Amino acid sequence: MFLEISKIKKHFGEGDSLVEVLKGIDIQIEKGEICVLLGPSGSGKSTLLNIIGGIDSADSGTISINGEKTEDMNEKALTLYRRKHLGFIFQMYNLIPNLNIKENVEVGAYLSDNPLDVDELLKTLGLYEHRHKLPNQLSGGQQQRTAIGRAIVKNPDILLCDEPTGALDYNTSKEILKLIEDVNHKYGNTVVMVTHNDAIKNMADRVIKLRDGMIRENIVNKKKTAAADLEW
Amino acid sequence: MRNPLNRRLPRELKSESGKYIVIFIFVCGMIAIVSGFLVANDSMVTAYDEGFTKYNIEDGNFELGAKADDKLIEELEKQNLTIYENFYKEEKTGGFDSTLRIFINREKINRVCLMDGRFPESENEIAIDRMYADNNKLTTGEEIELGSKTLKISGLVALSDYSALYSSPSDLMFDASKFGVSVMTREGYDSINDKNLHYSYSFKYDNPPGDDEEAKKMSDDFIDVLSEKAIESMNYVTNYIPEYSNQAIIFTGDDLKGDNMAFTVFLYLVIAIIAFIFAIMTSNTITKEANVIGTLRASGYSRGELVRHYLTMPMIVVLIAAAVGNVLGYTCLKDYMADAYYGSYSLPTYVTLWNADAFIKTTAGPLILMFIINLAVLEDKLRLSPLKFIRRDLARKTKKKALHLNTKIPILHRFRIRVIFQNIPNYITIFTGVLLANVILLFGLGLDPLLTHYEHDITSNMICDYQYLLKAGQETKTDGAEKFCAGALDTVDIKHKSETASVYGIAADSRYIDIDFKDGVYITNAYSEKFGLHKGDTLKVKEKYSHDEYSFVIDGVYYYPSSIAIFMDQDKFNETFDNEDGYFNGYFTDNEITDIEDVYIASKITQDDFTKVSRQLEISMGNMMTLFVGFGVIMFVLIIYLLSKIIIEKNAQSISMTKILGYKASEIGGLYVLSTALVVAASLLITIPVCNVLMDKLITVAMSGYSGWLPYYVPFSVFVKMAALGLGSYAVVAALQYIKIGHISKSDALKNAE
Repeated sequence: MFLEISKIKKHFGEGDSLVEVLKGIDIQIEKGEICVLLGPSGSGKSTLLNIIGGIDSADSGTISINGEKTEDMNEKALTLYRRKHLGFIFQMYNLIPNLNIKENVEVGAYLSDNPLDVDELLKTLGLYEHRHKLPNQLSGGQQQRTAIGRAIVKNPDILLCDEPTGALDYNTSKEILKLIEDVNHKYGNTVVMVTHNDAIKNMADRVIKLRDGMIRENIVNKKKTAAADLEW
Repeated sequence: MRNPLNRRLPRELKSESGKYIVIFIFVCGMIAIVSGFLVANDSMVTAYDEGFTKYNIEDGNFELGAKADDKLIEELEKQNLTIYENFYKEEKTGGFDSTLRIFINREKINRVCLMDGRFPESENEIAIDRMYADNNKLTTGEEIELGSKTLKISGLVALSDYSALYSSPSDLMFDASKFGVSVMTREGYDSINDKNLHYSYSFKYDNPPGDDEEAKKMSDDFIDVLSEKAIESMNYVTNYIPEYSNQAIIFTGDDLKGDNMAFTVFLYLVIAIIAFIFAIMTSNTITKEANVIGTLRASGYSRGELVRHYLTMPMIVVLIAAAVGNVLGYTCLKDYMADAYYGSYSLPTYVTLWNADAFIKTTAGPLILMFIINLAVLEDKLRLSPLKFIRRDLARKTKKKALHLNTKIPILHRFRIRVIFQNIPNYITIFTGVLLANVILLFGLGLDPLLTHYEHDITSNMICDYQYLLKAGQETKTDGAEKFCAGALDTVDIKHKSETASVYGIAADSRYIDIDFKDGVYITNAYSEKFGLHKGDTLKVKEKYSHDEYSFVIDGVYYYPSSIAIFMDQDKFNETFDNEDGYFNGYFTDNEITDIEDVYIASKITQDDFTKVSRQLEISMGNMMTLFVGFGVIMFVLIIYLLSKIIIEKNAQSISMTKILGYKASEIGGLYVLSTALVVAASLLITIPVCNVLMDKLITVAMSGYSGWLPYYVPFSVFVKMAALGLGSYAVVAALQYIKIGHISKSDALKNAE
C-alpha cells in the first residue's frame, strides 16, 4: 500500500476543554488514487490532512508513505519528507505577492531535483499568457491554478488539497477540480482532498467520511464521475 | 536552479525604497564618518607612536632652581640615564596676548618636526608651533614681536614633546592660542632676556622600561636620587615630570586612542539600533506573509532557507552601505577628520595608512552585529510550525486575557491604549533610539552652555584680579595687595589619578577670602566635588617628589570653582611646611603690581589663566557640536519615522476597516499617530532627565582621569531645546504618517486580509 494511515489519534486542549479530534483513524490509499475526505466542520478532516502532510503531529499512530514512517522524523527530516513527497494546495492560495505567476511556480520547482517543465505546466494550467503577471492581477480561479502549479511542478507523490475550491464560485470550482483530475491522470500523483462539498466525492476513487473524529464510511467509488460533469 | 525567492529582493527594494534609502543613507553616513575617522586616527596614532623613536622623545624632565653643575649631572647619569639640557625662556608676545616658550632647536632629544618653511638660521628668526600659529593667524614669513625684539617666522613646527600645548603639567587643559612653543638658533635664544629662564633638563634611560609599572618604579627611584643629589649640590628641584604623566606628551596619545574606542562604540550602538529596526521590519513582514511562509514550509522549504531569505536584505543593505561608506570615509572624510585633529593638537606630519582594523570595525563589525541580531530574531520568529503560520497563529504563548480597560474610558482612548500595547516592541525601540539621540543632542547642545557657565562661574568667583607668585618675598606698596603663602601638594586618593593641589596660607583677616579658620583646613568646592570630600572628612595629601604625607581635617568647603586647592591659616601653613614666621611668597590684589621687578615674579595669574580650559574646549570641539546636534536630530527622525511607519503598515487592515466604518482621516490619525505621539512625548519626558544623569556620571568619570575639575552643568533651556527638537522632528514624521494613512485604500487592506 502506498499511503498507510494507522491508528491516528489527536486531541486539542486540556482538562475540561479537551477535545479528541481524531479517535484512531486507519486508512490505506493506493498510489494514483484520488481520495476525498468528507465531513462537516470539526470532523477532523483538515487535522488528518495536516498530519499526513507532516505539518501537524499525531498523539499516536503512524503515517507511512512507501514504507517511510513519519513519526520517527525530526523537524529536518519532516521538511525533507515534505520536500520529496508532498504538494500542498490550500483554500487560500497563499501566493507570494511580489513574484509573478511563473516565478511562483518556480518556487515549487526549486524544491525538486526533477521538476516538471514550468512553461509546459503553465500551458497545461492555462496560465502561460499570464505568466508575467503578479498574483493580484489575476482572478481567484487563476490564482488557485497557480497554487496548484506550484504544488505539482515538483511532481510530488501525494497532492494534499485542503478545501481547494472553498473560496471559488461554482464554475471556477469545477475548473479547478477538473485540473486536479487532469494532473492526477497526467502525472499519476495520489490526491488526498479535504472538502465539505458532498458532490466532489463523485470524482474520487476513494471516499472517506469522517464525523466526530472517526471514520463513518470508507468507500471505493467504482462509478467515478468526471470532474467536468459534477453538479451541486 | 537559483532560489526563485531571491527574485523578490530587488522588487522589495523597489517597493520599500523609501525605507531602505533612509536606512542606507544613515548607515552609509555613519560608516563613512567612522571609517574616515578611524583611518585618520590610526594614521595619527601611528605617527604619534613612531614619533617617540623618530624624534627621540624624553623619558622625563626636571627643572632645577639653578643650572646644574657638571658633578650633579655626572652623579645623576650614574642612574643609567643620559641627561640633556633643554633650557627654555618665556616671553610675552606683542600685539596679541600670549606667552611663547622658546627653546634652542633640538638635535638630540625631543627633536622638532618641520611642518612649513624652514628652521631658523639667523639670530632674528624663529620657528613657532603650527597650531599656535593657526590660532593666532600667524604664517611663515610674517614677523612676531617677542618682548623687545621683532623676529621673523622662518617656519612652522611641531615639537615632539608638546603635541598638546600644556604650559604646565598641572593644568586642566592646554590653551593653544595663549601659549605656544618655538625654537631659535643658539644665538637667537641667547639674545632673549633671561628673566624667565628655566633650567629644564630632559633625560632618557639607557635601558628603557618594559612597561608602565617599571617606568613608574624607575621614575620614583630617580626622583629620590635627584632630590638628594640636587640638595647636596646646593641646588633644588622645582619641577619633575616623568614622560608617562607629562600631559604635553601623553594627552594627545590618550585622546587619540580614547576617541578610537568612543567612535567604535558609538558606531556599534547605532548599528545595533538599526539592526533592531530591521528586525522589527522583518518580523512585521513575516507576520504579514505568515500564510505564504506556512505554505512554503509545508511544501518543503526548510527553516534555514527562509531565515537566509529574510536575512539577505538587511545584510545586502548594510554591505552596500559599508562599502560605499568606506569609500567615502577613505577618500572624502579622512582629511576632514585629520584636519579636526590638527585643529586640536600639534601633531607631526602623518602618512595615511590603509588599515585592516578600520575596515573590520566599519564593515565586518556592523555586518556581524546586523547578522547576529537579525538571525536571533528570525530564528525565534520562524521557529513556529508551518501549520501555525498557515493559520496565522503567531502567538508564542497562549494568549493572555485582553487587558481590562475601564469602560468609563471613552472608546477612542481605549482604542489608543490598545494600539500602544499592541506595539510595545516598536515603542521600546523608539524609547531606546530617543534615549541615544538625546544623549547625542545633550552633548551637542550642552557643551557650549556648560563652558560658558564654567567661565562665568570662575570669573565671578575669583579671589582677586591678580595673583602674584614670587620667587622671593618682596614688599609692595600696591593698594590692596595682601600677602599669602602658596605651595603645591599631590592629592592622595585611590579612585582618582594623583594631581597637584594648590595650598594657600591665608592671612587671618584676609579681605579676599572670607574664612574663619579653626584647626583644620578648607578645600575648594572643586576639590570637594571631584574627590567627594566634605566637612569633617580627613584630607590626605603628599609632598611632591617625596613620600611625606599630610592629613588635615576639613573644616569647610570654600566656593572657588577654578582650582583644586586647600586653604589654611597663614601661620599654620608656615608651621606645617617649616617656614619662618611671617614667610610669604605671593600677593592677592585687584591692582596690577608695578613696584616689584619681574625677576622676582614667578608668575602672575589672571582671569585668562583660569578660563583657558573653556577656550580650548570651545576651539577643539565647537564645530563638532553642530555635527552632534545634526546627527542627533537625524537619528531621532530616522528611528521614529521607520518605526511609526511600521506601526501604520501593521495596522493597515484596521485602518482600512475604520475608514469603511466611516471614521474621518483626522480621527484615524488621532488613533494611530497620536498613540505614537504620546509614546514619543513620554520617551522625551523620561529620557531627558535620564540623559542628564547619564551625562553627569559620564563627565564625572571622564574628569577623574584629568587634572582639575569641570563641574557638570546644563541649563534648563537646553532640555527645553532638546524637547522642542524632539517634538519638532516628530511633527515632521507625524505629518508624513498622516499622509500615509490617507493613502491606505479600503479595498487594498481588505484584499490583504484575504
